[in-house]
Amino acid sequence: MTAMSRTYIKVVVVWVATLAALYGFQAYFTR
Amino acid sequence: MSAIDWTIIAVYLAWVIWDGIRLSKNTDEIEGYFLASRSLPWWAVGLSVMATQLSAITMIGTTGQGYAVGMSLLQQYYALPLAMVILAVTFVPFFHNARIFTAYEYLEKRFDAKTRSFTALLFLFSRGMATGAVISAPAVVLSVMIGLDVTTTCLLLALPTAFYTMFGGVQAVAWTDVKQMYLIVGGLVAACIALMMGLPDNVGIGEALRIAGTTGRLQVFDFSTDPSARYTFWTGTIGALFLFLSYFGTDQSQVQRYLTAKSIDEARTSLFMSAYWKIPLQALVMIIGVFMFLFYIFTPPPMLFNRAHDQRVRESARAGEYAALEQRFGEAVVARKQAAEQLAEAQRSSDPAATAVRSAAFKAEEQRVLGVRAEAVSLVKDVSGDSSYNDINYVFPTFIVTHLPVGLIGLLMAAIFAAAMSTVSGELSALSTSTVIDFYRRWVRDDGDQAHLLWVSKVATLFWAVFASIVAIWASELGSLIEVVNRFGSFFYGSILGVFLLAIGWKRANSTGAFVGLLTGMGVVGWVTVSTSIAFLWHNLIGAVVVFVVGMIVSEATGPRKPQSAVRTTPAGR
Repeated sequence: MTAMSRTYIKVVVVWVATLAALYGFQAYFTR
Repeated sequence: MSAIDWTIIAVYLAWVIWDGIRLSKNTDEIEGYFLASRSLPWWAVGLSVMATQLSAITMIGTTGQGYAVGMSLLQQYYALPLAMVILAVTFVPFFHNARIFTAYEYLEKRFDAKTRSFTALLFLFSRGMATGAVISAPAVVLSVMIGLDVTTTCLLLALPTAFYTMFGGVQAVAWTDVKQMYLIVGGLVAACIALMMGLPDNVGIGEALRIAGTTGRLQVFDFSTDPSARYTFWTGTIGALFLFLSYFGTDQSQVQRYLTAKSIDEARTSLFMSAYWKIPLQALVMIIGVFMFLFYIFTPPPMLFNRAHDQRVRESARAGEYAALEQRFGEAVVARKQAAEQLAEAQRSSDPAATAVRSAAFKAEEQRVLGVRAEAVSLVKDVSGDSSYNDINYVFPTFIVTHLPVGLIGLLMAAIFAAAMSTVSGELSALSTSTVIDFYRRWVRDDGDQAHLLWVSKVATLFWAVFASIVAIWASELGSLIEVVNRFGSFFYGSILGVFLLAIGWKRANSTGAFVGLLTGMGVVGWVTVSTSIAFLWHNLIGAVVVFVVGMIVSEATGPRKPQSAVRTTPAGR
């Protein structure tokens, strides 16, 4: 696996983590 | 505004011109002027890409949107990181290996001159008008806030930008974008901190956010499958994916940014800066809007945020009616504040039943405030004859000039100028590049005379600056026309993406297929826009798919594509 391929995976992982954090934010403050 | 704030704005405007020209090198060659000799580091390109996207409309319009309806708009950006990965794998290596100046140049190498010229013409027309709108929207707001006429604020935004873009080329654009981005983010963070500090001592930030939550303003996920719903998780992740692929993959104002990078990997890495930071940055912009809503719960807001319209109604024959509305508005605001304090108290007591009751009471008071305001807006529309009156763009500037300390007002006003100028400069540079490379050098004169082309490039930059300024100055009269033009832009955004997808993804595609597909895609999207209520983010997907499918069928029916020697058809840089 090349360094750039690892970067692509990192971008997707950070993306999923960002959406999860936003979902947690919404759930916490609108419950 | 005080003399100190005016000085800050003046110093910013002088510095941005001086700095832009100072950092430009090799601008006596066309490749240096338009592509910085393909020498910029990834972080400068990445910040420039982000600065070009973050316009003053984002700063004043999106914060206003956060104030009025909350953060649902954030969903529109959810697909951006995925789009960046797809572009990094596909379009970026193609464009870099093709050694082109514009995205449309690639279409001639792949198809024919007709397809290239037509797509470039669509870009010039829509982007030229859009640049006018990018100048006009903040200029109109700033004119009301700082007491200058609209022509002056338009020229204050356009002239310095035109000056450094014309003489410094894309390097001036990129390096000033970097500094402007620091100023914009610094200003936004300062505003957010000031708003949090402006909340009353007896209401914590968490309690305040829960109050905003009861009104639905913190909803950042809506899984509705209604195709007419504008901002949902699905429009944001599927429809907007095609919007971002089109914007970052085929719009010269973005493609030109990453063509300036040193290498394919540096170009890819520059796009990943947006992939990591765009959603958090947009969230910051919108949470500022939400905090303004909270701030104005505890600090009485004006009934209308546009002071010019407010004054006009006060001086009209219906001033008495307006005063009565203001009286009711004031009472409703006081009742809402008390309801919010009681809700915060119930939240502290951790009593779910009491919290539910107080929450319902607060929402009722909020509806009362909104009801009176709606009556006031209706009155303004009657008095002014402006049926499209909407003052959400005035909320953030009103907060800045009425509640921030001296110095910070100047900083934030400079940040709004920076946001407008960073977008306008990128667009002027892209418009000039496409005009010279796709039309002048292609159809008029191509004798390799660098000095002549450079002169034409500067004239083209000046021409587009003048064009955009005229559009901006007359935008108030042309309001509905501008909207029509912007809608027209959405007809072909996805369709242009379809042509590029066809070029890169279907080896047997030919020029006839591409051109027929493009026209069909635009026609279908036009019909969908006029005849259905499908949300606009889906239009990009529809346009791209129609062009790709029709292009494939027509290409198969009309024979093989022209021999290709100039362009690699595999992403060799991967």
